[in-house]
Amino acid sequence: MKTQEIRELVKVVEQSEIDELEVSRWGHRIRITKNKNHVANNQPQQITIPAQHTQQTSPTSTSEQNAQPAEPKQEEPAGPEALPERENFEEVKSPIVGTFYRAPSPESDPFVEVGDTVTPGQTLCIVEAMKIMNEIECETSGVIKDILMENSQPVEYNQTLFLIEPK
Amino acid sequence: MFNKILIANRGEIALRIIRACHELGISTVAVYSEIDELSLHVRFADEAICIGPAASNMSYMNIPQIISAAEVTNADAIHPGYGFLAENSHFADVCEDHDIVFIGPSAEVMSQMGDKSVAKETMMKANVPVIPGSEGKVATADEARKIAGDIGLPVIIKAAAGGGGRGMRVVKEMEDLENYFAMARAESQSAFNSPDLYIEKFIEQPRHVEVQLLGDSYGEVVALGERECSIQRRHQKLIEESPSPAVDEALRAKMCDAAIRGAQEVGYESAGTIEFLLDADKNFYFMEMNTRIQVEHPVTEMVVGIDLIKEQVRIAAGEKVASWMKDFKLRGHSIECRINAEDPEHGFRPSPGDITSFHMPGGMGMRVDTHAYAGYTIPPTYDSMIGKIISHGRDRLEAIDRMQRALEETVIEGVKTTIPFQQQVLADERFISGNIDTKFLENFTFNPDGQ
Repeated sequence: MKTQEIRELVKVVEQSEIDELEVSRWGHRIRITKNKNHVANNQPQQITIPAQHTQQTSPTSTSEQNAQPAEPKQEEPAGPEALPERENFEEVKSPIVGTFYRAPSPESDPFVEVGDTVTPGQTLCIVEAMKIMNEIECETSGVIKDILMENSQPVEYNQTLFLIEPK
Repeated sequence: MFNKILIANRGEIALRIIRACHELGISTVAVYSEIDELSLHVRFADEAICIGPAASNMSYMNIPQIISAAEVTNADAIHPGYGFLAENSHFADVCEDHDIVFIGPSAEVMSQMGDKSVAKETMMKANVPVIPGSEGKVATADEARKIAGDIGLPVIIKAAAGGGGRGMRVVKEMEDLENYFAMARAESQSAFNSPDLYIEKFIEQPRHVEVQLLGDSYGEVVALGERECSIQRRHQKLIEESPSPAVDEALRAKMCDAAIRGAQEVGYESAGTIEFLLDADKNFYFMEMNTRIQVEHPVTEMVVGIDLIKEQVRIAAGEKVASWMKDFKLRGHSIECRINAEDPEHGFRPSPGDITSFHMPGGMGMRVDTHAYAGYTIPPTYDSMIGKIISHGRDRLEAIDRMQRALEETVIEGVKTTIPFQQQVLADERFISGNIDTKFLENFTFNPDGQ
């Protein structure tokens, strides 16, 4: 994510009613929060950016750089900035590298939507690897709170795909 | 030329490959296991994909995950480095099935040279000297005596089904042969449940001398000098050098010609190394072929003036070996020390953990290939090598002096390393005289209180 892009995102959050903005691409996630509670927080802000590359290799939009963000915080579930509710959610992670699909086929409806109640064994999505459509099954009972990947987005091992609020 | 290469490896070699690709203007994809998230190869690549948990078989040797990572990033080629999947012919096949160029020889060549007896037969066809021995099993002591007479003493009787020193006897005098044959047979039967024995010429105090080869897809193979790797502890190399102090120009020409013949016999492409045993009379015998780039490739690069990884990439992309490689002069002498996170005071036990201080040597004739840095945590799940320090000088003595200087300058704190051990080896008179062989470290005592 380019520094310029991050600055613009920060501006968007600052100048709008948005409290929280999360953008993810290629497993690099950036979460910008504007919250009165955090202003009062005296904890030093941790910026840990896993799996980054540090050099500007070429001016193409696919190259990634190490950002020097002033305000944005990298989301880590264990960090001081982690939202309290998030810690209670189950993360459904991809066990394989592949391409994420929300529906069994381009014409079908997605397997699940945010707000759906899900049960163990229920198929949540497909991750396609080497032409094989692998169904990713749910392991808990609960409600889908968030879908973190977009349709046909590449995913890596342990990439979080869904957040489920267990019931 | 390739657009994007995925590096199916980790550590210093992954970084090495990424650097070469960067210089060639090729995009790079790193793959990493969870525990390697903060590894340097991940940071230096253009893209990085997590492919599994720490265990190698679930990550760096997990073929479906690696192929999938290549597909989702649209990589056109994979460089396997060394170790892991580098000599896995099945992996080379899978790459081909998925239209991904595997940077290395073909699967068939790899399996041919990977099978010791097939490799030996192939070399014999190419008139490459091999260790003389019995063809197959030796049934009786009489047969053994005849073969020993043909080959010439000393010979070693070995258990066909085993290894590790059991069921082995070295025969130096013909009168001992009958007894030793019977003892080896009994030992083999009890240890490996098989009485089968074979006989080979026993090479006393051999030197491990290997020849670096490069082959293109047009049938051309060049030899880039030799390396001496006799300083080994339990078959693990610790110090390597090029050229070998035991090899003069005439011997070099013979060994290189033999190696080229062997490689051309199988139609070898990409970088590869043929390992020879050199005896005290300057006879050399084929031991095995490594169908990959090797850890110690930098010493060849320093004395030849070549980037072997770039050449691998170029050859895989269809280029020919450059004509200068057929006729060049070796320049000076180079030595490499493998820096392992091991404790030489306690039997070289692995010393993983956090590196708190890290300062690498520099100055004239110095090269460092490492993925470690201050603050890096060495994971316990992979091999213990954290880097290589390579010196180059006008001659062997200068290369040794530079290496000694470099090892004194080097600071690695937080973990134990092999450096104090290597410093003592480099100061040893026998080492300095060049009079070394594969038994050198067996007879070498490390002095924990020494400098």
